[in-house]
Amino acid sequence: MNGANGDSAGGSRPTAPWTDRLIGRVVLGSLLPLVVLSLWWLGIRSGTAVIPHFGEVLQVLLHPFETPADLYSRSLAFSLLMTLLRLAVGFGLAVATAVPLGLWAAKSRTVEHILYPMVQVSRPINPVVLLPIVTVFFGLSSVASIVAGPVEAWRWDVWDQVQIAMVFILWWGAFFPIFMSTVHGVRSVRTAYIESLRLLGASDRQMLTKVVLPHALPSIAHGMRLAMGVSWLVLIAAEIFPGTRSGIGYMLCTACKTSDYQYTFAAMIVIGITGLGIDVLFQRMERRAGHWQAAAR
Amino acid sequence: MERTDILHQPPAYSLRSVTRAFLGREGTAVRALDGVTFDSPAEAITCIVGPTGSGKSTVLRILSGLDRPDGGSASVAGKDPAAMTGRIGYLTQQHTLLPWMRVRQNVGLPLEIKHVPAGEAAAQVAAICAKLGLTGAEDLYPHELSGGMQQRAALGRLLASEARSWLMDEPFTALDERTRHQLQGLLIGLVRERRLSVLFVTHAIDEAVALADRIVVLSAGPGRVVGTVDIALPHPRNRLSPEYGQLMERIRTSIESVL
Repeated sequence: MNGANGDSAGGSRPTAPWTDRLIGRVVLGSLLPLVVLSLWWLGIRSGTAVIPHFGEVLQVLLHPFETPADLYSRSLAFSLLMTLLRLAVGFGLAVATAVPLGLWAAKSRTVEHILYPMVQVSRPINPVVLLPIVTVFFGLSSVASIVAGPVEAWRWDVWDQVQIAMVFILWWGAFFPIFMSTVHGVRSVRTAYIESLRLLGASDRQMLTKVVLPHALPSIAHGMRLAMGVSWLVLIAAEIFPGTRSGIGYMLCTACKTSDYQYTFAAMIVIGITGLGIDVLFQRMERRAGHWQAAAR
Repeated sequence: MERTDILHQPPAYSLRSVTRAFLGREGTAVRALDGVTFDSPAEAITCIVGPTGSGKSTVLRILSGLDRPDGGSASVAGKDPAAMTGRIGYLTQQHTLLPWMRVRQNVGLPLEIKHVPAGEAAAQVAAICAKLGLTGAEDLYPHELSGGMQQRAALGRLLASEARSWLMDEPFTALDERTRHQLQGLLIGLVRERRLSVLFVTHAIDEAVALADRIVVLSAGPGRVVGTVDIALPHPRNRLSPEYGQLMERIRTSIESVL
């Protein structure tokens, strides 16, 4: 508490060097982006066909619902929506399986001994490596085809774009960090807290909701943030891989192949900004979950 | 008020030849308690004093039901401690507040566990907070409170639990002297008002003499009872009175004789 206040107070004091003040930080922080933009501008001047004008890219970004003329017939907004939908399904599935299994493994040595060897062997396998074989295995079948059957699935337009292969590798990438951090979070619960509640006559359920989960939550949130970082990279890579007809990664790849560099750059920028936004969101969540932690230690 | 009458009631806590050993670092058994026997009067404060390693905390853990003796027997209000769940209040430097809950939730935790209806629980928590001087701090988290306020909230949780047997392990040791004296006074008031039976572990002789109706002195490890002193001085006790000084000296001599 005191430490945090002291730091921020120190940063805004008038005696601080100019590099630590807001204006200094803005100036210094803008230097590298300015260099990048200058290089972009120089690239256009030197007549490289690959690099479009900044204004052209901006036009694409400002009209996200416009469907480009040929080949990929999906708007920027729709592409991003498809990507986010896949992310939500795959990541959600990972959370829904990793947290309960992590709680279980942390509680029972038997479950831990069953799960751990498999987890330790599987964890280092890069999910992108699995993508080709998973795509061969599941083909283009989607989440919708489970519900509606393979023939009817195409009617479910949006849900038909959520391929099982992608959901699977997203799950693979996100499961392990969340599982490990859940186990770690539960294991690090102070016995004194457990004992206090036991003496008050708490049930197992109350123990879980009042002590174990709140105590493990910062750790779980940290695992989720790591998992989300992995998921985002993996998903974009998966969308570039053949076997899909939509998504921001697909748009990036297709636009590049058809020499539509405005869309290529626009997709790159959207991927970057969305990834950043997601990370900021999860960072906030993590901080919220652990608000009591820094000062309590 | 004369307290000697209370000393003749049946014991609140009773230990009979309790032994307990733990596995040491080299795999050898380290004896913590070596045949500890004492009774602690009901509706009064008993302090256990003794040097570091005399097994004071082990006594409390056994009486709380969190630990079992290797030999001998322990009882709380005549019953097996393990059968007293929810009726024993336990406060140590670790067993305090849950850092992710506000003061209001921490104090109300025992009520929530017993499924007391929300409205009723809120009223009880408000009353307890008012009584303990926590009004205005209900919505703060433990780390936002001073040490003294944290211990007040911890006492509040004990009050809400309606346990009348309180086991307290150096609860005020980390506090500054003024706050410590305030909370000692608060505890004495609560013991009388709620007819609590308190077993209070401390290494501070002054604190024991200020609080206790009976002082049990343990030897250096393995712990044995080397003396029991009943104190009939009325509360609040004058720390500067000759009787107080004599008691301090007597306990100190008793501890030093077995070091």
